Amino acid sequence: MTPARLVTLLACALVAAGTARAQDSQFGIVGLGTPGRWESGHARTGAGAFAAFDPASTVTETALAEIGSLSASVAEGATFRHLEGPGLSSWLRSTRYPLFAVGGPVSSGLFVGGGYSTYLDRSFEAVTRDSVVLRDAMEHFTDAIKSDGGVSDLRLAAAARLGSRVTLGVGLHLLAGSTRMTATRSFDDSTVYFTVQQAGPVRYAGLGVSGSVLLAVTPTVSLAGFARRDGHLSAYVADTLVTRSDLPATVGGALRWTPVANARLAGSVMWRSWSRTGPNAFDTFNWTAGLELGRAAPVRVGVRGGQLPFGATGSAPTEWGVAAGTGRVLANGRGFLDIGVERLARDGGGLRERLWTIVLGLTLRP
Amino acid sequence: MRRAARLAAIGLALSATACTEHLAAPGLCPTYCPSDSLAVRDTILRAAISRDTAYGRPYGYVNAASAPYLLADTVPGVRGSHPIFRTPPIGTRTLIGSDTTTGAVIGVDSLYLFLTIPQRDTATHDLAVALYELPHDIDSTTTFAALTAPFSAPPVRAVNVDTLLAQPGHKDPASGDSIIVDSTSTRITLALRLDSADAPYSTADSGTLAFGVRVSAAANAHVEFASSELSALGPRVNWYVKYDSLGIVAHKLIPVSLTGGRGFDGFVFDPPPPPLNGTLVVGSVPAARSVLRVTLPRAIRDSATIVRATLELIPAALPQGLAADSFDLVAQAVLADFGAKSPLDALHVDTTRIYIAPTDTVRVEVTNILRFWVSDTLIATTLVLRQAPEGADLAEIRFYPSSDPVRRPLLRVTYTPHFPFGRQ
Repeated sequence: MTPARLVTLLACALVAAGTARAQDSQFGIVGLGTPGRWESGHARTGAGAFAAFDPASTVTETALAEIGSLSASVAEGATFRHLEGPGLSSWLRSTRYPLFAVGGPVSSGLFVGGGYSTYLDRSFEAVTRDSVVLRDAMEHFTDAIKSDGGVSDLRLAAAARLGSRVTLGVGLHLLAGSTRMTATRSFDDSTVYFTVQQAGPVRYAGLGVSGSVLLAVTPTVSLAGFARRDGHLSAYVADTLVTRSDLPATVGGALRWTPVANARLAGSVMWRSWSRTGPNAFDTFNWTAGLELGRAAPVRVGVRGGQLPFGATGSAPTEWGVAAGTGRVLANGRGFLDIGVERLARDGGGLRERLWTIVLGLTLRP
Repeated sequence: MRRAARLAAIGLALSATACTEHLAAPGLCPTYCPSDSLAVRDTILRAAISRDTAYGRPYGYVNAASAPYLLADTVPGVRGSHPIFRTPPIGTRTLIGSDTTTGAVIGVDSLYLFLTIPQRDTATHDLAVALYELPHDIDSTTTFAALTAPFSAPPVRAVNVDTLLAQPGHKDPASGDSIIVDSTSTRITLALRLDSADAPYSTADSGTLAFGVRVSAAANAHVEFASSELSALGPRVNWYVKYDSLGIVAHKLIPVSLTGGRGFDGFVFDPPPPPLNGTLVVGSVPAARSVLRVTLPRAIRDSATIVRATLELIPAALPQGLAADSFDLVAQAVLADFGAKSPLDALHVDTTRIYIAPTDTVRVEVTNILRFWVSDTLIATTLVLRQAPEGADLAEIRFYPSSDPVRRPLLRVTYTPHFPFGRQ
């Protein structure tokens, strides 16, 4: 890699990292947040079914072995979210850059990669109305609890081919991030009771390790297995530790079948032990399946399902979604653009979320 | 390639439409709301105020000679107050023409005395203003009792303001007195025409005049005349003098005002204000202030947000006077605590209205001040209670001090403790 290329890639990483977040969910408010997807734009347009075999995604390290040369990828998602519950209905929107990955071969059979992805998103603003008796009079007020930010997963990964069939990978994950939280109470009688606004930046830190294996069962069938163990997420306010939450373990597997040259099928499952993170948390099992047709301008469709880790009604909220998209080779193979759309439905505890997300992914091979 | 470019353009355009964030949603509580919320606490701090004391007698923050108004009251059985003023001398000689040649002032043809009433008390009807000649040695030490004799003499001029206002053009053609009505404000100006008999020119005094004003009305009379401290609205005189212009008697207008410390104006009143007696006194003339030191609990001052703060004061004596004596009681922060001479912070002020009526507790909302104190823990937490404007009212109010264990000043504070950021 030339110095110029390296500088260019690092600059891209820094610019993108400044606004890195994933899609939000109201379900994440009662827990640590909304987990990120670790999927590139390419994988996301197939509902994540190909993520375990996609070097731009950060699900497995072994996928790095499929990189032919140095490449960098970035993903963007613009989400329109409709929220519906007892007595509330609201349209929300957000734009996120949930993933940046860079990697490439360093020697024969050895590959390294790095980047970031969203680990937890904690961006929300909940507005409530209530009243309190103050000085023998009922005072009505509006509360707004706002959180802006999240926890990013900074990954350093390596993969090694052991023969023609087996690839092993390991990764080190530094969890870091912050949220700016604001709590505001505005009394209806603002002439007597002043509006209260308190703000506090919360810093997060944690560590995790991961490993994966890729097995080429036949020339057309590949199996991937992956596991990850994250330690604790420590929250600091003004450099004082305020909470320390256990983080989940992750295990999963994926299958890819290429029956013909221009058609690929894939599916994956993933289990995460979110229930250890605290109250209102549940272990989750998620699955995906997808199909990709074509090579230069592939068309992808996929479906996903599973649970969300945080809910408040005794069971985990459920999630179901479909995605479709396509891609184009740019600049004589030096770039690849993916675009797609994803429809998600989340339900739980009387709350419904319906999301339309426009997904954009860009991969560069300088 | 063109198709790819089109795709990119479409993608970017679609993404751009969602670039603005909107994450505010009605909270579905308690199921899908943050587990913590802002707590509100209301507490009465009974011992927060200490080292309180009053200042301002016998010399006040504003005295009769420096007050912005000349208070004229005739309230039988309650008080009497008479404005007094002395005009500066006009000299014994005056310029004849455009050069430095002067001629001797030999007398006065007439003069107009202007007295401005910035705002009339609408409860005072049939208002009469009487002008009395006073000794020329009046000053800030002159007392009400010392002027009993001059005010017992026949007045130089007496006019009924209401009658004059009813005249065409607000002018009495017989006497020449008139009233100038300011159509843009509530201000009226009495213009009293005096002749040489009413206000003779005295060469020995170089034309100095001294007058006192007594007011009367159908019931209680209460008028505030503008003093020389209130812009340029204080008493002023237009002299039409006769002078010797190279052997010929000529006439000339010489305007005289009291601004700039020339002359003197003030008022005398009876009964005199009672001395400070250990209570927290606010108001009257000489204007008194009370200084209160406040000690906030660390939990509130260091990390809470003040929602509402009320200073509760129990009057030791009911405010006396007329309805028009109602005044603003101001609680003001200080820039530094130097006791009686503490410089006031003009930005952090809270006010309440004191009415001349029975009241058990006076409450001043001091939220502005306490929020200021909480924002900077190095600021002196001292309050000054004063009347606004000072020296414009003879009414005062007295509160029980902190030395009274039962009726001491209280501070009632509604606040929110620090939000537990960082918890799930």
